[in-house]
Amino acid sequence: MAVLIDKSTKVIVQGMTGKQGSFHARSMIEYGTQVVAGVTPGKGGQEVLGVPIYDTMKEAVDATQATASVVFIPAPFVYSAALEAIDSGVELLTIITEGVPVRDTARIRRRVYEQNITLVGPNCPGIITPGEAKIGIIPGAICTKGNVGIVSRSGTLTYEIIQNLTLSGYGQSTCIGLGGDPVRGIDFKESLRLFEQDPETKHIVLVGEIGGTGEQEAAQLVKEEISKPVYGFIAGNGTWVKPGKQMGHAGAIVHGKSGTAQEKLRILNEAGILTAHTPSEIPNIIKENM
Amino acid sequence: MSMLYEFEGKLLFKDSKIPIPRIKIYTDTESIKQFAEEIGRDTMMAKGQALAGGRGKAGLIKKVTIDTAEEYIKSIIGREHKGKPVAAVMLEELVEITKEYYLALMLDNKSGSYLMLASTMGGIDIEDVADNHPSEIHRTLLPINIDPQTYHFMELGKKMGFKAKTLTQFASICVKMFLMAIKHDLTLIEINPLVITPDDKLIAADSKVVIDGNSYFRQPAIAALQSQRDQHTELEYEATQAGISYVQLDGDIGIIAGGAGLSMTTCDLLEFYGSSPANFLDVGGGANDEKVYKALELLSKMDIKGICVNFFAGITRCDDVANGIISANKKLNINVPLVIRMIGTKDVEGIKILEENEIHAYTKMEPSVQKIVELVKGGN
Repeated sequence: MAVLIDKSTKVIVQGMTGKQGSFHARSMIEYGTQVVAGVTPGKGGQEVLGVPIYDTMKEAVDATQATASVVFIPAPFVYSAALEAIDSGVELLTIITEGVPVRDTARIRRRVYEQNITLVGPNCPGIITPGEAKIGIIPGAICTKGNVGIVSRSGTLTYEIIQNLTLSGYGQSTCIGLGGDPVRGIDFKESLRLFEQDPETKHIVLVGEIGGTGEQEAAQLVKEEISKPVYGFIAGNGTWVKPGKQMGHAGAIVHGKSGTAQEKLRILNEAGILTAHTPSEIPNIIKENM
Repeated sequence: MSMLYEFEGKLLFKDSKIPIPRIKIYTDTESIKQFAEEIGRDTMMAKGQALAGGRGKAGLIKKVTIDTAEEYIKSIIGREHKGKPVAAVMLEELVEITKEYYLALMLDNKSGSYLMLASTMGGIDIEDVADNHPSEIHRTLLPINIDPQTYHFMELGKKMGFKAKTLTQFASICVKMFLMAIKHDLTLIEINPLVITPDDKLIAADSKVVIDGNSYFRQPAIAALQSQRDQHTELEYEATQAGISYVQLDGDIGIIAGGAGLSMTTCDLLEFYGSSPANFLDVGGGANDEKVYKALELLSKMDIKGICVNFFAGITRCDDVANGIISANKKLNINVPLVIRMIGTKDVEGIKILEENEIHAYTKMEPSVQKIVELVKGGN
């Protein structure tokens, strides 16, 4: 089934009556995702795209037995929406919204850990299992079913890499967008473990960027637990990067040596992970390694 | 991630009942006299306010008298310190110091918890202490949803060597720092040094405070502080107001990209192919033609040799991007080579719009970046 989602996953869209929510719910449905309900407080009883809208997450879960929810709600209201999702009993919570205060995310993450729920995001493009289902905003048209698992901190850069792989004949098992925030739900480590256990995944591509130490922890895990070949790409590998300056993503900021792309690449290479200089090189290094 | 001036941080300390020395912002000669009267002394500290560390070493902090203060202040105000202006000078009463400590509270990204750091080696760079005397840094990790009480910090205070009244003072300052961090969405509160006076009072002699920029919507008072405007260069500020992520860099080629990762990769590729980026620019997801126009307007104000546009459109539409480029090309004076790459949502339509205006568009990233480097190096 690849990882996290497949065509049997029932999904609730929180904020489905909004502009973003309805737009992306449509594209998720067109891709084949089972979007079984939407939730917007005060709009219960309506229908959007033929999908029933409920006032609360609990009503939506009770009526549909959905196990996943995706949040398309403005940042100031994400904390409350996420807590409601956690309390409703879903197992997978994906937050697409950008600009969520880090304290809110940290509090959401704590609750998620306590209740053994998987959180993806915030500030992320979501998850896609090509040919089966997608949660979030990754364009379905660039993906094709295959056996490369992708885990990335970026959005459009991930699309770039997916497309390079697709055009070179490497389909994807599942692509996971971790998000660009400094505090996030699942990270590289958990994603690598999922791909390691997944029979459909034969290769893993890890797309990192400057800031934080998620890539270094992933490298350590690769040494200890991962038997499948892992390939890496790190954005921000130039001399142009200014320490202390945030490069778009709230998490993309270098403090000291450990957050630099050079250091991350060094540690990935040390763990035996082949790394590419450009996105178009990734299919080539997979091919050479086969 | 946005730093406050020392004086702004200290005013927050005061609001939170964390003890600070008496302070006043210099405005004119009269303000020096008034302050001297207020503290009952002719000698005081003058501290240049800049959004970068190492001010002491750079000579921006000095003991002055009522007679020498103004000359010194005028010599440092407006001076550049690590690329940041000395925007103001704060007058501060002299504090008698028995010993200096280090105390900081931060939101630790990795654990998603609050981390309290304390050291008996205060007044020096904490990274130096971490490198050379790691055992001198004491840590307490506390859950993000903590309801802080003094007992949480007694053990930390004891490790620092505090006893009796100073121990309870210390724990109480820790609690106040927590309440302040929670109230104002702060990701870092650093007091270096926290000093103890001969009469056993703990006082915050410096402040470094960082706020989470994502929380501006519920922290309007902090969002309006002078430091939050001064974080940015003029162009960076203009970009922020337009909802564009922009960082000024030192290279030759201006870039516009959709998405932070792709924007960084575009900068990397410019270097990889032998040139350098003049900026980082992410117009953000779902950018419309107006935002693309605005981005080109920003670049038109820069001294650059070429422009590289790179979009992999997901929720953005290439026809919007193309329309933004066309109108910018008509209205703005863009007289440097422009190379465009676009693919994804509505790319056929976008490329058609550009071609109708005799602008070529690439669909692949690497060749487009190579092309702009070649054009710029060729001197066209």
